Amino acid sequence: MRTLVLGLGNPILRDDSVGLRVVRQVAAAVGAAADLDVSEDYHGGLRLMERLVGYDRAVIIDAIQSGAPPGSLIRLGVEDRPTQRSASTHDVNLPTALALGRQAGAHLPPPDQITIIAVEAQDVLSFGETLTPEVERAIPLATQAVLQLLGLEKESA
Amino acid sequence: MKRISIDPVTRLEGHGKIDIFLDEKGDVANAYFQIPELRGFEVFCVGRQAEDMPNLTDRICGVCPEAHHMAASKALDAVFHVEPPPAGKKLRELMYSIFFATDHTTHFYALGGPDFIVGPDAPAAERNILGVVAKVGMEVAGKVLKMRRDGHNLIQLMAGRRVQPNWGVPGGVSRGINEEQRREIELRGREAIDFALFSIQAFKDIVLGNKAYVDLIVGDIYTHKTYSMGMVDANNKVNFYDGKVRIVDPDGVELLKYSPNEYLDVIAEHVEPWTYLKFPYLKKVGWKGLVDGKDSGVYKATPLSRLNASDGMATPKAQAAYEEFFKTLGGKPVHHTLATHWARLVELLYATERWVELATDPEITSPNFRTLPTATPDEGVGIVEAPRGTLTHHYKTDSRGILTEVNLVVGTTNNYAPISMSVKKAAQGLIKKGVVNEGLLNMVEMAFRAYDPCFGCATHSLPGQMPLVVRLLAPDGEVIRQLTQNLDG
Repeated sequence: MRTLVLGLGNPILRDDSVGLRVVRQVAAAVGAAADLDVSEDYHGGLRLMERLVGYDRAVIIDAIQSGAPPGSLIRLGVEDRPTQRSASTHDVNLPTALALGRQAGAHLPPPDQITIIAVEAQDVLSFGETLTPEVERAIPLATQAVLQLLGLEKESA
Repeated sequence: MKRISIDPVTRLEGHGKIDIFLDEKGDVANAYFQIPELRGFEVFCVGRQAEDMPNLTDRICGVCPEAHHMAASKALDAVFHVEPPPAGKKLRELMYSIFFATDHTTHFYALGGPDFIVGPDAPAAERNILGVVAKVGMEVAGKVLKMRRDGHNLIQLMAGRRVQPNWGVPGGVSRGINEEQRREIELRGREAIDFALFSIQAFKDIVLGNKAYVDLIVGDIYTHKTYSMGMVDANNKVNFYDGKVRIVDPDGVELLKYSPNEYLDVIAEHVEPWTYLKFPYLKKVGWKGLVDGKDSGVYKATPLSRLNASDGMATPKAQAAYEEFFKTLGGKPVHHTLATHWARLVELLYATERWVELATDPEITSPNFRTLPTATPDEGVGIVEAPRGTLTHHYKTDSRGILTEVNLVVGTTNNYAPISMSVKKAAQGLIKKGVVNEGLLNMVEMAFRAYDPCFGCATHSLPGQMPLVVRLLAPDGEVIRQLTQNLDG
């Protein structure tokens, strides 16, 4: 099963970058694996769908502002509310993008094989390369959650 | 005075917002479009090397990073007093043409098209790209996705993944293309021209063939007689990458042309006491409020205004499309906001033709794509046309090239005033004596979607279907009514 682990975020927009930081930890933990790609992006909508082409399964890590305490982890499906980066005002939301891709015959993961791990963010409006403390502290937990989803959780982690 | 707020993204912090003020009779007095500004970009940049700006600024926005990359690269040419060699300029413009074609395709099919091709009265759930596919034909899904895929692949081929760090450098670009790559770019460009022609034909068949749609486009509700801004070449033809910025008055007569380093002499910002928002206007004309006409310094910087501000397109097929555009809509200039979608298709065709022109230019594979800077850096301004409007980057550095000051004027900022005016007119037509027509949200959404306001430049991504909240507020601020659309969170 070809799997993509994709971190979404803007690297210079404080907590918005949390998805990128989590996948860097994931990449370090899993090393090179034949059927597993770990990557970063900051596009939602059509571009996000296009990144998923060719994969059987996807795990997307992104920031969210849902009102939960900062640093909370929220597991979502594609039909759930959009996270910070998973939708785009300039084109379409992810479910519509996936439907379009399928109409055009693209090989995409089925909806039940796309999981979004959202990390509740505190500050996504300030430029900066540091996270707020609660969100920073969520990185190991979010990393663990991704590894668990992949069935790669380290026994002694 | 009552106030109505249309709040596109209440569930996310730092949302865009539209405030509509009613007078004592309950009719619309004014409307203002606001988007939040990200905090601290200038502070973030100051103290860094100026050469980092093409890569830093393309991180501002997930929607048009290439536009920021290019404006930043041109600003660096000015900061370092260096002129790229012809091949360097052509490579930049080639990549930029590919980007423009890709971006305009996405906007038309995913955002602008649904209102017309599916229909302004169609249920919101059907007014999306899937509705366009259902109406135009299944093959269009593949065509749109191919156009996007080719565009992204070629930008990657030229500049590295997305925009590779340091592709745009002071004095040119960091790498060129070989003959094999050039052939691939040319081949995809020829296919892109066919796609642009197909898109224009679909627009003509479906939109122009329907009297109700044409009436909506030319109707008074979406019409504003403002000044028009757009970059032009030496022959006053539309150019996205380089030239002077030309401004024509509401009758189409040239007011002035300016070089990038003169932008502060031309543009000033009006401040309203009740909002952080600043409205750019033409200094020479002056600020008279959110009103049409020659005495009002409000201008537009959009695909439509670019056609108005030019004397034509520099490529043959786009020139024919340009002529048909103005002939059909009653001559130049055109002030119908919704015609911006058609103007975008004329630009799409130009971008694809320019793409092939540059890909077949004998110099395009030249290894002489950069001039090394030797002068002491100090200050510079770079301007390109972003898909959403004129984009200005202005940097100051110390003698070591360390940034001391940064100012950006993004496409959407230019259009704050006209977007507000479009929203105001839509609201005026649909709110009478405090009674709000239920069609308000959709009509307001159509008004500002034509501009494709770039929230991405100012804030993070927002949901694809713009959720709206309209709040009616009494003079004392009490919420007396609330309407919502596309709000599910």
